[in-house]
Parts: sequence; C-alpha cells; structure tokens
Amino acid sequence: MSNPRYFCGSLNQSSGVIERLYNEGEPLRLGETIMQADNLTRGFGTGSQFTLAVDHVSLEVLSGQFVLIMGPSGSGKSTMLAILSGLLKPDSGSVYCLGENIWSLTDIEREQFRLDHCGFIFQGYNLFSALSARQQLEMVATWGNHFSQQEARLRADGLLERLGLGGKGHLRPSELSGGEKQRVAIGRALIKNPNLLFADEPTSALDWTHGEEVVKLLRHLTREEGATVVCVTHDPRLVPFADRVFHMEDGHLVRQSYGYMSHPEEAVLPLPEPGEILPGPGDVVTFRPRIAP
Amino acid sequence: MGYSLTTLWYERQRYFPAILAVGFSSLLGCLQFGLLLGLFAIVSIPIDNSRADIWLGAPQALSVDLGRPIRESQAVDRLASNPEVDRCETYLQGFAYWAKPNGGMELCMVMGCRLDDSSLGRIKQLTPELHHQLTEPGSIVVDESDLSRLGLKNIGDTAEIVGNRVRVVGLTKGVKSLAGPYVMCSVTTARSLLRLMPEQITYVLGKCHDPADAPKVVARLRAQHGTDISVFAADEFSFRSRWHWLTKTKAGFALGYAAVLGLLVGAVVTSQTLYAATAASLREFAVLRAMGIPRWRMSVMVMTQASWVGVVGVLLSFPAIYGLSKVADIYGVQVLLDWRMVASVSGITLVMAVLSGLYALRSLKYVEPALLLR
Repeated sequence: MSNPRYFCGSLNQSSGVIERLYNEGEPLRLGETIMQADNLTRGFGTGSQFTLAVDHVSLEVLSGQFVLIMGPSGSGKSTMLAILSGLLKPDSGSVYCLGENIWSLTDIEREQFRLDHCGFIFQGYNLFSALSARQQLEMVATWGNHFSQQEARLRADGLLERLGLGGKGHLRPSELSGGEKQRVAIGRALIKNPNLLFADEPTSALDWTHGEEVVKLLRHLTREEGATVVCVTHDPRLVPFADRVFHMEDGHLVRQSYGYMSHPEEAVLPLPEPGEILPGPGDVVTFRPRIAP
Repeated sequence: MGYSLTTLWYERQRYFPAILAVGFSSLLGCLQFGLLLGLFAIVSIPIDNSRADIWLGAPQALSVDLGRPIRESQAVDRLASNPEVDRCETYLQGFAYWAKPNGGMELCMVMGCRLDDSSLGRIKQLTPELHHQLTEPGSIVVDESDLSRLGLKNIGDTAEIVGNRVRVVGLTKGVKSLAGPYVMCSVTTARSLLRLMPEQITYVLGKCHDPADAPKVVARLRAQHGTDISVFAADEFSFRSRWHWLTKTKAGFALGYAAVLGLLVGAVVTSQTLYAATAASLREFAVLRAMGIPRWRMSVMVMTQASWVGVVGVLLSFPAIYGLSKVADIYGVQVLLDWRMVASVSGITLVMAVLSGLYALRSLKYVEPALLLR
C-alpha cells in the first residue's frame, strides 16, 4: 500500500471536488464509496452468555460525508464502529476501506492503514494530563507522521487556531473546558489529516452548547476538509447535521436515512441487499467545498 | 523538554517515591562501598603515604602486609639497574607479637624505613621530629588511637616485641590499624623485631626520575624476572593489597550484599511506580494505538521516564552521600568516595532504573484500543 497520509488538497475546478489520494495516482473524489461493509457479524461471550452484538449488517459510506450510526444502548453501534475502524475483528463479513479489505490485512498492515488514514475521537477526551494542548497534537504528528518537532509545532498551532483554540495551545487539559478538551481531542485526530474520522459519542460528555460546537466542527470537516466522519451517537440532536444516518437496534441495521442537512425532508432509504451498491454520489454531494489552507 | 520529562515534572508527586528509591539505592551503595574502601585503605597506608613509585618484593606478594623476606643485594641490583630509577632503598614490614606492659599479647605491624629527609618508605605522618627520635635503636612510634590497645599510657612507656624491649618515643595521628597497630621504627630496629638476617629485607622501594615511567620499569622487570619477584607500581600495589583483604575477609561480600538489597528495594519501588503511572495512562495510550502509533513509541516513552527517574534520583543522592560521609568523618569513620566507585555505583543504579522501566512495560500489554469503544 502506498503512503498517502496527507491531504493532497488539489481542487478539481471542473467538478468542484476535493481530491484525496488513497492510492498513489488515484484520487478519491467526494461522494465516492470510501467504505463498504458486507454482512458483518460479531458476537461476545460463550454458551448461554453469547450475545450477537452485530448481526449481518451491511452498509456503505461515501467520502466527504458526515455519517451517524444511531441506536439505543446495546444496539451494537459502538461494536460496529470498532469493526469498521479496524479495531475489532468481526466473526464474519468484510470491510473494504479505501479499496483495502482491512480484515484481510495483517495486524501490522492494519496498524499502518490506521496510521495512514484514520483518526479517532472517543467519548472521554483521553488527553495526557501532563501535556499541553499543543503537545497532545505534536505527539501524534512526530510519532505518527515523523514530522520534525518544529514542523509538528507549526501544524499543531495552525490546527488549534482553526479549532478556535488559538492562544490556548500552552494550556493543559485541567485548564480547559469540556468543549475545549474535546476540540483538542479532535485536533489530535486531525493532525494526521486522516481520510476517515471515527467518533464515538463525541458530545455525550458535553452540554449542548459545547456539543453543538463539536458537531458543527465535525460537519465543517467534511465540508471544508473533505474528510469522511463516521460518528456513533444516541443523541438525536446530531441528526440535522448528518448526511446519512444508520439506525441500529439489537445488532441489526433497521433503517437508514438521509440527514436533514442534505435532505431537509428526511428520506428513508430502502435497506440494501448484501452486496448491493447504495445510491451514488449525485444523491448527496450537493456542496462545493474549498481547500483547507 | 520531551514528553517524558514534561510528564515527570508535572506528575512529580507520583514519581517521587521512585526517585527517592533510586536515590536511596545510590546512597546506600556509595556509602557501603565507601565504608569498605575506607576500611581497607588502612591496609595500604604504607604505600599510599610514602613517596616510592615502585615496590619490589618476594614472589606472589598478595598484599603489602604479607611480604616475605628477600635478599637485599640482589633485589636492589635488579631495581637499580633500570635507568629510569633514580634511587632505591630498603624497607621492612611484617607482623610481630607485642607484649603489653601489664600482660597480654597483641599482634602488631612493624614498619621499618630509612629515617633521612629523603626517605622513600617513611610515611608522611611521621614528622621530621619523630624520625629523628627513631634513630635511637629500640625506639618506636605508634598512633595515638592505638595506645590503649597496646596497653600504653604515655610517650616513654616501654613494652616488648618478641623479646626485644622497645620504647615509645612519639605518637602519630591518623595512622589507623586493622589487624594490628602500626609500629614505626628504623630499618635496624625493625630487623631485630622481625628477626630478619642482616641480608634480609621485605621490599626494595624505587623512585623514578619521572614517576610516569614506573609502569614501564615494572613491565620490564616482570619480563626479565618473571615469577622470581613481585614488582608493582605504587597505585597498583595499593589496589592489590586492598582487593586482597576485601575478598579474603568476605567483608566485601557482606557489605556488597547490603548494597544489593538496597538496589533491589529501589528496583521494586521504581518498577511499581512506573507501572502504576503507565497503567494510569492506558486510555491515552490506547487512543494513540487506535490511530496507528506503534507500540514501541510508547515503550520508548516509558523507558525514557525510567532513565530520567534514574538520573534525577542519582543526582539527588550525591549531596546526601557527601554530607553523610562528612558526618562519618567527624566520628572517625572513613568513607572513601573514590570517583571510580561512585561512578560505578551510579551506573549500576541507573541500569537498575532502566531495568525497572522494562518491567513496567508489561502494563503496555493491556493497551487495547477497542476497549475505548465499549
């Protein structure tokens, strides 16, 4: 696999889409399939304790979208996110991500894949208490992308500025509000400039004022940066910001719909048959993003 | 400042026990070995406090106090034949029995040297006034700390050494003894006290034009005479003498054992502290693992923290080590802080800290990114 990691940032003026390289020389256009999961199954426990957390679920995610996976507690949405992001091996089924079947890769290859393409935001901020906001980002840039300290610092400062944390880079987590901490966590996920951003209940620890900020930020990332965000939540207030929503219950994908942002009239889509390709880019990509600086 | 050092400083209260444990290990090690070196430095007092560059004695000399008689003329010729040697002189040393004035016996160490101002064998504690008084046959000088041990009260007291009457004409300061008190006298007096024949001596001492030539002369003599003689540069013989007693008496092992226990205590506290500190950051490490940051990066961070704990602990121990050695000195206990010993103990303590870090790495095995999504 090539080593594309960084946002190539070229704007195709004719089509008005951001191109991200996922294989050398092969641009990924907004609205193309970036991830396809087929017939995923995952259980936990044994014998009478066995529970099927994800039960034969198929879905497709298009690039540049803000996608929600919703459902009540225990519906299997977090397990689904773990499988899609290459953190938890499914019992059966496949996940094609940027053209790679990530569960046929070796552990090291999958780790490299995550390093090259994936960012994560978790429910807890999980920031190192001793490090400043800037250092939290620098750490990923220097350790993951082998940037020099100076280069990492420049990138971290630029990103913090864009996240509304300019001038707060020197503060430690204990000196930041919940919303600010989550923005630092988002910055940490973004400093690698990932193609895919996985978020698990990113707003659950925040009041809605801060939660809305975070959601708008995630939404903004898809529009301005061309990233694809897959977000697990049980909070319906996020739906208006999403392009597509997958609803799960008891391990099943029961419904998928457009988010209000792309389609103010929420449209319920038919569930796909296994292997069926969902509606193409024209259905959802209705915006003209610009290149991030 | 690196992430490891930043973390160490910010969470200094968490890491303090480990730093303290490392410092304690270093302190204990240095003081134990310093005490030991100080104790056995007594053996090499005749070498360390004289002006000779080269010591030539009987074959297989294990320690300066265990010298055996050799033929004076032959030994002197061998040493004096080297052009680098400026001058040679004879020196006598050996154990003898001291009969106390009020009864009872004591082993003593007789040292007989020339008494002129340029004498090579005369130790520096023997002042010009004292060595003038020693010219009279049968006169001796002992250290003031050994008076009661020898059954003496004042200068002028007499006693017997193997049937020879001796009279104390003066006292030195700081010439402490281990197996038996030092008895300093002239070569003539020593010969009778040690019952040596006129042609017999214990050592020939040599002074080189340039002291730096001593090892060269020693090497040449060894090549020429092989095992017929023992010949050493002063530093070498001093170390050999101490090392012999250090290993022969097993005292080194006893004190070394205590120092190793100190190291073990330090290792356990350090590894547990680092383990707990790493375990407390498992979720943060898990986020990095999720993003594909390789595990070795985190291992390096833990190992760097372990190294810093070691460095800071050792550095903090130095003032305490030197302070306590001064306190010991006040009470007449010598703690010899040889820089090589201090460097070795510090090095071992640092290695211990780093090994503790290795042990703490096992906590990273529990870093599992998928757990963050449950």
